[in-house]
Amino acid sequence: MLKHLALFHIAADNIARHRLRSLTVVLCLIAILSPFLSAISILEGVKAQSLLSVDEGADIYVTMDLFGRNGVIPIADAAAIKTMDGVFEAVPRVVGRIAINGRSAVLLGIPIDRRTYDLTIIQGAPPQPGEVAIGKKLAQALNLGADGQIGIGARAISIIDHVPYFMKKMYRVSGILDASADIRTADLVLMDINDAVSVYEMDGFATDIAIYTKPGASARVNEGLMKMNSAYRIQSKELVKTYVERGLNTRGGVFTALYLVAIAVAVPAVLVSTGIGLPERKKEIGVLKATGWRTSDVMEMTVFETVLYAVTGASAAFLVSFIWVRLLNGFFIARLFISGTGDIPSFPVPSQFFPLPFFYAIFLALTVTMVGSIITTWRTAAVAPGEALR
Amino acid sequence: MSVILFCDGVYKTYNPSRPNEVRALIDVSLEIEQGSFTLLRGPSGSGKTTLLGILGALDRPSRGRVLLDDRDLARCSGDALATVRRRRIGFVFQNFNLLPRLPAWENVSIPLIPTGMAEQDRRKKALSLLEKLGLGDRTHHAPEELSGGEQQRVAIARALINGPDVIILDEPTSNIDAEASSLLMQILADLQREGKTIIASSHDEDLFHRADRIFELRRGALAFSRAPSAALSRPLC
Repeated sequence: MLKHLALFHIAADNIARHRLRSLTVVLCLIAILSPFLSAISILEGVKAQSLLSVDEGADIYVTMDLFGRNGVIPIADAAAIKTMDGVFEAVPRVVGRIAINGRSAVLLGIPIDRRTYDLTIIQGAPPQPGEVAIGKKLAQALNLGADGQIGIGARAISIIDHVPYFMKKMYRVSGILDASADIRTADLVLMDINDAVSVYEMDGFATDIAIYTKPGASARVNEGLMKMNSAYRIQSKELVKTYVERGLNTRGGVFTALYLVAIAVAVPAVLVSTGIGLPERKKEIGVLKATGWRTSDVMEMTVFETVLYAVTGASAAFLVSFIWVRLLNGFFIARLFISGTGDIPSFPVPSQFFPLPFFYAIFLALTVTMVGSIITTWRTAAVAPGEALR
Repeated sequence: MSVILFCDGVYKTYNPSRPNEVRALIDVSLEIEQGSFTLLRGPSGSGKTTLLGILGALDRPSRGRVLLDDRDLARCSGDALATVRRRRIGFVFQNFNLLPRLPAWENVSIPLIPTGMAEQDRRKKALSLLEKLGLGDRTHHAPEELSGGEQQRVAIARALINGPDVIILDEPTSNIDAEASSLLMQILADLQREGKTIIASSHDEDLFHRADRIFELRRGALAFSRAPSAALSRPLC
């Protein structure tokens, strides 16, 4: 045991003594691992927030089936659905994308007497017919405040030089929505459902109906809806959750796969950096062997060094990614996981730091540094010391 | 006196069967007696360092036997050779091979680390040995802060720390001044009095006169062997 402790101590001393090599290796590991940790934390944050919003949202969403896709649904159906046993509330919604001055935004139209979830107005008042409330990020981008005017339209009336021109109607900005609560509100345009219907020119139709059921009545309502209209396309909360999770997991999986390829490409860089001072290292190993160290002693010391490098590098990368995501608000990297976000997000980027990605990072760091140092050390340590010192 | 090291028909070839093949040792056979001072002589490139490396278990011969107390080093495993180097043989390199980032006492204590000795004991033992070799005030100096002679004494202390029977020195007087050389002679004489077997390669006349036995190598082969007191050389080939 004393021998292993002594070797560990020597390994720690070696790291402290070879400052340039240690610094280079740790910097390489930070460069490799911090984007990975930042991305995973943002992905987890977005996933958690999305699932929370699904949890807080309606229990069932109904649309019409249009060749296997979501199609618009008559607004009048909401009244019929509301009379069903077990239904607490049925809210028709119009949800769509619009372009405002070249910026993409999400338009949400709901009956003005109904709020589907908590939207905090930080300036002004909730919208009345002919008015809109817009997200803080959008307001900043358009340099708008409460009482401002905004032109909204979805029908392109002409295309000149590949640029569509929309027929727009002017709306008064009644208030600004808080963007800090939820990333979805950053670019949101909230208006009365009738105004939203006129924007998309789909009189009498909504994009979906959000149904809130009484506790335990979800399955029953589901069945009732199927009986009511076989053309309904019904999506339960669980199904939406599955979509959200699957979508984000796929995105995370694609990112991780691409990242692993990038790491594989980066390994030679670490190999070069751990090879800094290689002649000195070779001599060191030769001297250790010449003075009675076994190959296994040298390898054990090197493994300790590698583990220390990996833990130090992964910890430093964890700290850097924490600063990157929490203090620098995911500068540049957030756009990979939150669509429509620029290099500098104007809302707090959601993130969650879990221990598991940290252990992944240690594993990756171990792999990278081991490839960089173990093989080189083994090749030197396995030969006779006379040859290593020649 | 009994024979402690015995070479029997030793060959060493570097890069065999390649265009840059070097036959460093050719059929070298010699005996080294316990407690003796043996000197290897020969021109540069004659194979002295290669032979010392093989005698010191740093390298294996391409052919032949090297017996240390009847144990053939050529057939030992890598780990067994490491044990031999740790327990039986202390090697002082021509350029000392001290680790530049370690202070003198840590350089000396390197061979003790795999023995599992506590750091406190390692330090105590190393400091005591450095004190004995006149380096009591240089224990925390890095090699670059020491003179050539001091570096050599640190290397000797490292070679002695595990109490080996055989001390091997490669060109011990080539990198030190006259004063340090005189001190070295004193140290070697003391070691021999303690019963250590000393093997050195050198051109130094002082060492030549102190050696019990001299072997001369030429182009990898043993040219002759003699005791300094003998009136005539005994040609071997």
